[in-house]
Amino acid sequence: MNTPAEQTRSWQKWEIHQAVTTKNIVIVFIAFVLLSFSAHNTELDKAAVETSKAVLSIIGVGESQVLDGVARFVAKAFPLQISETTPINRLNDFDRDDLPLFSYIESGQVNEYDALSDTWSVETTEFLVQPIGYLKKVAIKMWETIEMGFWGTIICIMISLPLGILASQNYTPHRLVYSFTRIWLSFHRSLPELIVALILVLMYGFGPIAGVLALAIHTSGVLGKFFADEIENAPPGPQLAISSTGAGAFKVLRYAVFPHVYPACIAYVQYIFERNIRTATVLGIVGAGGIGMELKGRWDVFDYDHVATILLVIFLTVILLEVISQKLRKRAL
Amino acid sequence: MLKFELVSRIYDDGTKAVSNVSLHIKAGEFCVLLGPSGAGKSTLMNMVNGVVEPSSGRVMLGDLVLNKRNKKTIQQRIGMIHQQLHLIPRLSVLHNVLAGILPNVGLFRSLIKSFTKVEQRSAHQLLDEVGLEEKHLLRRASELSGGQQQRVAIARAFISNPEVVIADEPVASLDPAMSRSVLKSLKTAARKHGVTVICTLHQLDYALEFADRIIALRAGEIFFDGHPDELDESTQSELYALAQPKSVKLEKVAA
Repeated sequence: MNTPAEQTRSWQKWEIHQAVTTKNIVIVFIAFVLLSFSAHNTELDKAAVETSKAVLSIIGVGESQVLDGVARFVAKAFPLQISETTPINRLNDFDRDDLPLFSYIESGQVNEYDALSDTWSVETTEFLVQPIGYLKKVAIKMWETIEMGFWGTIICIMISLPLGILASQNYTPHRLVYSFTRIWLSFHRSLPELIVALILVLMYGFGPIAGVLALAIHTSGVLGKFFADEIENAPPGPQLAISSTGAGAFKVLRYAVFPHVYPACIAYVQYIFERNIRTATVLGIVGAGGIGMELKGRWDVFDYDHVATILLVIFLTVILLEVISQKLRKRAL
Repeated sequence: MLKFELVSRIYDDGTKAVSNVSLHIKAGEFCVLLGPSGAGKSTLMNMVNGVVEPSSGRVMLGDLVLNKRNKKTIQQRIGMIHQQLHLIPRLSVLHNVLAGILPNVGLFRSLIKSFTKVEQRSAHQLLDEVGLEEKHLLRRASELSGGQQQRVAIARAFISNPEVVIADEPVASLDPAMSRSVLKSLKTAARKHGVTVICTLHQLDYALEFADRIIALRAGEIFFDGHPDELDESTQSELYALAQPKSVKLEKVAA
């Protein structure tokens, strides 16, 4: 019965690779011990302790720092601050007969501090109350944030498209240009927005333009690398077909490469846009415009009810953008 | 009009794809290159438009010797139908055809995909000649069937008013009825525009049916060159034998 095939083959040489062996278990154990040092450095142990304390204190055992923090925020955050109240004497060119829409005048008391005599006095003044005044202010700031994200994305595309072409191996004019643009793009990528924004605020002053440029600089590094990789990975066949008609590199790019990379690029630009808006909300913390400036100001004076309004508006905006961009994407493809 | 003078091509790994081939193809001829896989058909064809460069010898189109400097000008005088077609899947049929005249379109105009009325009309006409129905014109190339895509590729090769059209296995992936109809439209288009066609095929029957001239290759050398009628019985059976895949296992069993 022995055929030649069975004699020459030995099944022992072809054992299936075993995933769990003693050696692997030892390696995992050592890795676990080493990682525990790193976990201690990053206070993961503290998080575990505090979180379990919080859980215990919910069921009535002991006190918890975590819960205290949450309680302090929640107690002040609700109800949300929607209206805006301003003393009338602080308003320039106030016209009693021509109030803004839906607003009314209320009289109330205010504590005044006299620094010369170091005394407090209670004075009665009139206030202008705008029922949705603060919400409107936040909405305007949010719109500014969206505009920052938009222009950041537009400038990002303008930078990254040419750089992406120069940084793709098959369309770069020279090997040196390729290396240089690749390095340049990773340099852009390695600059965190907040730090760029800090420097740009020094250069351009407080305001949204610093934020816009910071966003554009960081994300152009990401998008440029993505464009370059997509162009490199485009199928070579159509490119050969167009170039063998005698057309130049630009036309090959336009007709054989762009149609192929278009859907992926649209998806990526959309991601960059969403991400830019999310990042723009925090850029205000270093003074680079947008809703973050308002957020930081209110946070520092413990106006958590204002903060809660801002957070709600940011949350709703991000969800809304997500829905819109999903719809737009389906149409674009 | 198209001349090969003692052309050889040796690839980097030492494979001798084509050795000392001399050919003179006259204007308006419908030439079919026959031969088994690896006989050098594709290499010989790709040397016509400079995709492959000859190791020695020279290729001439009219009075022009093909070299690196005039590669782009020569490519504009040659239409190419690739084996895998290489249509652009996401572009419409019309755009795919119009992509064939890109060298004559200005940079800005090609950037915004704007083509003149004349150019569009000639694309319509060509697609009509190769037998693509009107309803497909604005569909994406990827939505078409294999035979329809093949017709689009033929139209793209012809739109630049080329002197020579080279077709690499134009019917390799089609069923016999469709193959015949595609070859027929290729031949009519060539007749109408007075274009020289060089076409590689696997099937001897189609070659006998359509070719003005058959050039058979074996291991990089020509072993038959002439009109289909000149093919005698022995050469024909030899060609058939070459087209058959060798079945090693069967021979062993028989032994």
